[in-house]
Amino acid sequence: MKVDDTDMKPFIVHRGKIAVLDWADVNTDLIIPARYLKRIERIGYGPLLFADKKYVPGGSPAIDAPESHGALNAEFPLNRAEFQGATVLLVGKNFGCGSSREHAVWAIAQAGYRVVIAPGKNEGFADIFEGNALNNGLLVIEVPEADWKRLADAGQVGGVEATVDLKTQTIVVHDGRVPEPKVAFEIPDVQRKRLLQGLDTISETLQYESDIARYEQAAPSWLNAASA
Amino acid sequence: MPETLFQKVWNRHVLSTTDEATLLYIDRHLVHEVTSPQAFDGLRLAGRKVRRKDLTFATIDHNVPTDDQLDIRDALSRRQIETLRANCLEFGVTLYDIQSGHQGIVHVIGPELGLTLPGTTIVCGDSHTSTHGAFGALAFGIGTSEVEHVMATQTLWQGRRPRSLGVEVTGTLPDGLEPKDVILAVIRAIGTGGGTGSVIEYYGPAIRALSMEGRMTVCNMSIEAGARAGLIAADDVTFEYLARKDRPFAPKGKAFDDAVADWKALATDPDAVHDAHVTIDASKLVPQVTWGTNPAMTVDADGRVPTLGELPPALRDEAARAFEYMGLTPGTPIAEIPIDVVFIGSCTNGRIEDLRAAAHVFKGRHVAPGVRALVVPGSEQVRSQAHAEGLDQVFIDAGAEWRQAGCSMCLAMNPDRLQPGQRAASTSNRNFEGRQGPGGRTHLLSPSMAAAAAVTGRFTDVRKLLAR
Ligand code: SF4
Repeated sequence: MKVDDTDMKPFIVHRGKIAVLDWADVNTDLIIPARYLKRIERIGYGPLLFADKKYVPGGSPAIDAPESHGALNAEFPLNRAEFQGATVLLVGKNFGCGSSREHAVWAIAQAGYRVVIAPGKNEGFADIFEGNALNNGLLVIEVPEADWKRLADAGQVGGVEATVDLKTQTIVVHDGRVPEPKVAFEIPDVQRKRLLQGLDTISETLQYESDIARYEQAAPSWLNAASA
Repeated sequence: MPETLFQKVWNRHVLSTTDEATLLYIDRHLVHEVTSPQAFDGLRLAGRKVRRKDLTFATIDHNVPTDDQLDIRDALSRRQIETLRANCLEFGVTLYDIQSGHQGIVHVIGPELGLTLPGTTIVCGDSHTSTHGAFGALAFGIGTSEVEHVMATQTLWQGRRPRSLGVEVTGTLPDGLEPKDVILAVIRAIGTGGGTGSVIEYYGPAIRALSMEGRMTVCNMSIEAGARAGLIAADDVTFEYLARKDRPFAPKGKAFDDAVADWKALATDPDAVHDAHVTIDASKLVPQVTWGTNPAMTVDADGRVPTLGELPPALRDEAARAFEYMGLTPGTPIAEIPIDVVFIGSCTNGRIEDLRAAAHVFKGRHVAPGVRALVVPGSEQVRSQAHAEGLDQVFIDAGAEWRQAGCSMCLAMNPDRLQPGQRAASTSNRNFEGRQGPGGRTHLLSPSMAAAAAVTGRFTDVRKLLAR
């Protein structure tokens, strides 16, 4: 019901170019520096993604003018010409650690990425980041390290596309090899259903009204924060 | 079946559950100006209300200038603060505004107000909500979409129930060491991802010996080990803290006695088992200092910056980037690294005990030439307590800046920040690149170690100063 471009779009199958950022422990301060959190909008974060890495020192956008920026930092992996327009992002372990800022997910999604893939079951993404991604229809996938390496090696070539299919839970790399490299992944059913349908969680939860009310009626008096 | 503290608190709040998803009731929702505007917007667009405004409490902390709180010169900071004021007014949420007597960092004021109680679920759009676990509450950070969800429903969806990680801290913490050294040592031992998917329960004699302030410091940085939450079972130290007269929202009289009986039953059962378990011997610890760009990059204060060869291969790439960013030569003794700025404050170490520990070192000494030292109380209440004890004068006499309450230099959102290339000794919780300002270099340590750095101009094992 939110009218903006982070609206939950259903995710079914997506084909797009791969980009690789092979760094471990990428924290949300790096994904989007704190000063940009002064913005009270939910949109406009795309150009601010990795702002202190993406642009040369001093070149990052003004807080209230995200589109204005200095020169790009040629050293930053995601600035490689072959990665421009990528929608499938491969990242290192413990991605999104640190602050709970959902702005990190908004920045990634608004920069055009639909899928983020990290290595290691339960090690790929930080917990809060993973939840935030799901709430914004950004598909985050953890695959075994060896599979991640295969995908990353293929992606590092540059300009290579992949198809991510949430229904069959597979990633297929279109890099000209026959047969095409294929990696399976798993997303818990509940999350998969929500992504496939793009549900509004709040209206879903409101159907539990009687359970909520029952808890509230049974709560001991000291739980009701009354100041004395 | 024997249960852990975490399982008991979790189970009490389950409204509906399957293997993969659980709906939890949320007892307290804390709100600050940074992660809430889009949530309030969402409510407005959908025509929804805050379901339990009596369980929702807001304050202003991240953007507040701490030299003069009332003079918010930055237009965007001002807009964000004014947006929270307007939203609280419109939706009927209590706001502890600047100079209300209770304003401060959200994780400092919740416990002070008696809002943080054992056995409750507490959320906030802020990862350091883990702090409140020091009271035996299940407390964790959430994103803005979840903030909106909690506002609308007073509930939250969780995936699979997190695993429980037991961290036992044995022995007695030596003189000159602080709770900050304990938690840095824990993170160093288990790594930045060691707690991912888990909730940590801290226990053992060294934890029992801590004050509530110390326990909050420990639980605060659970997130730096990747854990959703940190928990410590409530005991007499907890009950005494909550029984104090200046905890307006804590239960009183018979309600308090009933609550205590209930809270005591929440402790982990003797034969309950955690999914994983780590033991740290506090008596063997020495003061800890981080050298790199994540909080697990920690060494002993009498140690050296590691060399690449000493690190496991998987950590070398990240370490190489950290050496460069931090401007450090591998192998440099920690005690030889000069510093420019000292920051004492934050939701990790901005409480009264932290200020006492720092003042103990500052007393009779002076900030080294060329060093700037900021002492920032975590709340207006901490600030007035420090005044009552005369700590402010100790800081001022030592040549440190005595500030007003706020997040201050913990993150670069308000005017207190590092200049590019500046090196800080900081009692905050994150040494990420740019965290205290673009190009700024952060070393995390305890309040007394920070004070020792301030008076000597470099990292100094505080035990040497105290032994004098
Ligand atoms: S003091 Fe630092 S970590 Fe704590 S809430 Fe403020 S910005 Fe976050």
